[in-house]
Amino acid sequence: MAATQTVDVVMPQMGVSVSEGTVTKWLKQVGEKIEADESLLEISTDKVDTEVPSPGTGVVAEILVQEGETVDVGTKLAVIAPEGAEASAPAEAPPEPATQEAAAEVAQAAPAEATPPTREEPAPAPAAQPQPAAATGDGRAFVSPVVARIAAEHGVDPGRVPGTGRGGRVTKQDILQFIEQGGEPTEAPSEPEAVQAPPKAPPEPPAAPAEAPPEPPRPARTAAPAAAEAELTPGEQEEPVTAMRRGIAEHMRRSLDTAAHVTSAIEVDMSRVVAIREKLKPEFQKSYGVNPTYLVFIARAVVETLKDYPWINGELRGDKIVTRNFVNLGFAVELTDGKGLIVPVVKSTEGLNLLGITRAVTDIAERARSKRLTPEDVQGGTFTITNPGGYGTFHGTPVISQPQAAILGTYALVKRPWVVQDDRGQDTLGIRPIMNLTLTYDHRLIDGALAGRFLRDLRERLQTWGEADY
Amino acid sequence: MAVREAEPVNSLREIREAGLDREDLLGIYRHMLVTRGIEERGHILYKQGKIPGSFYTGRGNEASAVGVATAMGPRDVGTPLHRDMGVHVTRGVEAWRIFAQYMGRADGPTKGKDGNVHMADSRLGLLAMVSHLPAMLPVAVGCALAFRIREERRVAVAWFGEGAAARGDTHEGMNLAGVRRLPVVFICDNNQWAYSTPTFLGYGIEHVADRAAAYGFEGVVVDGTDVLAVYREAKRAIEKAREGGGPTLIECVTLRMEGHAVHDDAFYVPKQLFEEWAAKDPIERFRNWLRENADLSDEEEDELSAGVKKVLNDAIARADESPLPDPRTVTDGVYASPEELDTPHH
Amino acid sequence: MAEITYIQAISNGLREEMRRDDRVFVIGEDVGVYGGAFKVTLGFQDEFGPWRVIDSPLSETAIIGACTGASIMGLRPVAEMQFSDFVSCAWDHIVTVAAKQHYRAGTPVPITIRLPSGGGFSGGPFHSQNPESSFAHIPGLKIVCPSTPEDAKGLLASAIHDPNPVLYFEHKHLYRRIKGEVPDERYETPIGKARVHREGTDVSVITWGAMVYTAGEAAQQLEEDGVSVEIVDLRSILPWDKQAVLASAEKTSKVLVLHEDTRTGGFGAEIVATIAEEAFESLDAPIKRIAAPDTPVPFSPPLEKAYIPQVDDVVAGLRELAEY
Repeated sequence: MAATQTVDVVMPQMGVSVSEGTVTKWLKQVGEKIEADESLLEISTDKVDTEVPSPGTGVVAEILVQEGETVDVGTKLAVIAPEGAEASAPAEAPPEPATQEAAAEVAQAAPAEATPPTREEPAPAPAAQPQPAAATGDGRAFVSPVVARIAAEHGVDPGRVPGTGRGGRVTKQDILQFIEQGGEPTEAPSEPEAVQAPPKAPPEPPAAPAEAPPEPPRPARTAAPAAAEAELTPGEQEEPVTAMRRGIAEHMRRSLDTAAHVTSAIEVDMSRVVAIREKLKPEFQKSYGVNPTYLVFIARAVVETLKDYPWINGELRGDKIVTRNFVNLGFAVELTDGKGLIVPVVKSTEGLNLLGITRAVTDIAERARSKRLTPEDVQGGTFTITNPGGYGTFHGTPVISQPQAAILGTYALVKRPWVVQDDRGQDTLGIRPIMNLTLTYDHRLIDGALAGRFLRDLRERLQTWGEADY
Repeated sequence: MAVREAEPVNSLREIREAGLDREDLLGIYRHMLVTRGIEERGHILYKQGKIPGSFYTGRGNEASAVGVATAMGPRDVGTPLHRDMGVHVTRGVEAWRIFAQYMGRADGPTKGKDGNVHMADSRLGLLAMVSHLPAMLPVAVGCALAFRIREERRVAVAWFGEGAAARGDTHEGMNLAGVRRLPVVFICDNNQWAYSTPTFLGYGIEHVADRAAAYGFEGVVVDGTDVLAVYREAKRAIEKAREGGGPTLIECVTLRMEGHAVHDDAFYVPKQLFEEWAAKDPIERFRNWLRENADLSDEEEDELSAGVKKVLNDAIARADESPLPDPRTVTDGVYASPEELDTPHH
Repeated sequence: MAEITYIQAISNGLREEMRRDDRVFVIGEDVGVYGGAFKVTLGFQDEFGPWRVIDSPLSETAIIGACTGASIMGLRPVAEMQFSDFVSCAWDHIVTVAAKQHYRAGTPVPITIRLPSGGGFSGGPFHSQNPESSFAHIPGLKIVCPSTPEDAKGLLASAIHDPNPVLYFEHKHLYRRIKGEVPDERYETPIGKARVHREGTDVSVITWGAMVYTAGEAAQQLEEDGVSVEIVDLRSILPWDKQAVLASAEKTSKVLVLHEDTRTGGFGAEIVATIAEEAFESLDAPIKRIAAPDTPVPFSPPLEKAYIPQVDDVVAGLRELAEY
């Protein structure tokens, strides 16, 4: 009730179950004087209509809710200022500064016209997930929590312990006995299961590039800062290397050291894609609330083509070549301020049609933007698409995301003069939207001819597919 | 035993016979003014959003509450309800603590653990009510049982409303009290409306006090707006109980002048009933009685008014300074510790 | 030290408390002249008089409500509900007033409510229940369920001494069937502490009340098959001895929770949930529960046998666990 500071008038709660009220009449207007406890306005709730007495003496400085408006209990309705004082507008809480590091600015990536502008490569190596002692042995084998714990504590592989429990499982008794009798402890299972399990064998584990939460990658092979402590000369500044940057640096170096990088390129006449997209864009927006970008058309065609080129979706693993009946497609995404990148992965794209891929990409973009990606979202990729062309570049040589075998680069869609056939079959000049696509591949596994055929087939699809094919 | 209808108190001499002198009367008047003031100011605070939850008043019941409380002895105990703010005031609960209670502050009697009138200072012989009415009636009977077991000359006073009279707790409590002739006085606040339930939908007899005979004790009906009549009957009954005469049921009839709670505008109460009983406002009535029978002067009135206003202003200011409870105290106090017991267990 | 029955231990304990502290009094139906429906207070009124052993009207709410008022005035009431089943008539008072008075108004309510509970003698739906779990959910109350004569006496003394409302469940079927050594002198068994009824290494049974003996007989049978069963007698339901239960679970890694109350929402559920939350990595088998089916207690002997967990049921459950 002090006349020395501003006082807020709030919507009262007229009854325990009441959650809102309506302002029915202001008895004073802005600028008018009012005494404490004098009626200031009339309100209506679902229980009762009543007047609200002013909580303070002074002048009505602001009226924030108009007659007829309904607001929640506790909402500020007005401000009473001491007479003669300025009504200070309550300071706005400063908008949250957009956080740098992990903010995936996929608004850029979000399909406006162009495909998501991304930079090079997938990101730093992942944190290796600790694997529970995986049950090997017969398919029924189940390891109970206590057995798992004891196994982990002693470095014992439960798969090697004779089990006397139901279905042959290893019981607590069994493993305790085994340990007591000096059963030999072994390493955790060496053959990795799907793409998920990082093998502990020396060659790099990373199942896939991990997310922004920057941890120095396991086997931390951080490049020793070479030019160490040279003094800064005038005009030079320095800033620390972030964990993410360090991770990217490590991965890029390792990737180039591991794979034999070769790039082949092909030019694709995208006029059909443009036409289909023009038609589908409003439909998709209206019916599904998603926007089909060029990227998703290309992604669809890529997934279909990869079915015929398993090695390009595969992996060179030691002495073996691993191929899959699924395509987990990674999309390289630039982070805000170009301070790093993420490669979220859409799993099992072989089962998705255009709408499915559009939705999946939209979702993952949204989650990348709102920092809601999970570790699963950035692991397990089998092939990656990157789009450096958002800035207009027409060619590039991206770095492969280990341990994948290849990466597709998409570039700016440019209207070019193009040799086309007129209706008499004669050559003539036309104007076509042309996009350059590159496939950068690991030549240890993939030869130029294979890469060339892949690109040819990809182009074929993009140039001939109708709406129903997508 | 038929129900007795109490007589009004007509003179200072009569009330002296019942044990009160002029000073006491001014004290009673003051208590009623403070009681009403607390509720009126609280009502405003509630509409200003400063009191969470709900807000109940006993407007129109001031005479009944203050009258009975004045008749209680210093070591008597009671279980007042939400229309009986006057009992707390008369027994000595400070106004600022009442406001702190309303506002859920840490210095309220329940430290924010319970709200509105669910409070009491047990050192002043009052037990805090619950929402399930009249659950405290058997508890008051239990207090009387303790007095009887220990043969102490103390009395328990149990309040209940005419609506809650329908519940089994009333019956069981009164029955036990009647069977054992326990030193308990039952006060029925009959304000004629239990939320929107009128008396004729609550009981099938004329007076709630008619039931006293069913339990073996006397029932009395008194005009609840006449503080001296209430006082006189309460005094009789309490002293009777103290002497071992067993329980009495006193039905104080008034009208609930506001809604069940502040969110209720009582549209179901016929307007002329309000008008009729407004003319019998307990505070106005007593003021007139004092002017006529006890020479209440303008100066005295002004002094009283000013005094009450100051008390309320100071109380609200002080209560407002009390902090809200620390959230970390939410799990405190579920259990009592042995040190809290009144006397050690030997 | 003497070997006495469970009911004798309760009676002795109560009498002792009343002798040493004249604030303690008993109130209930038929407790005075009749000596109590089960004769727990036989002879008490002669010794303590009608104002300390009070025959009340048939009014559970008035009985317990009056106890609350009297306890606030400084006495130490011990109410008897003739059968635990009738406590539902006073449920409102217990839950609304007694349980909450200290938390919200700072007033201790040191009352004890004795509740003859349990079935096994064709008592039917209203004379056989074990309602402890309904109250376990109410903060402010304490609940004890002794299974041995020694604990019966010690927990009664603790309950009367405790400044909080205590529900004391005495299992009727143990009254005269169970005998045990009970110290003559006064002692208090701590509320909130379990007791290991039988040590073992292979499977733990967590139980209370009459089921302790059912578990005991089952354990004996399994012993003969080379399975070592540990039995933990909870004794207190609120607060309950979480540490003791978790320790046993960690020790054997196989747990059976057994109670006579019905299964869904029975207190065993709370125990199982806690073990799953806090001893997950110690488990070598899923936790098992054996309890009465979700029905009222039936009357006819074959139905009642199918309702109350029998030794054979527990044996089968233990075997299953042991072999998992």
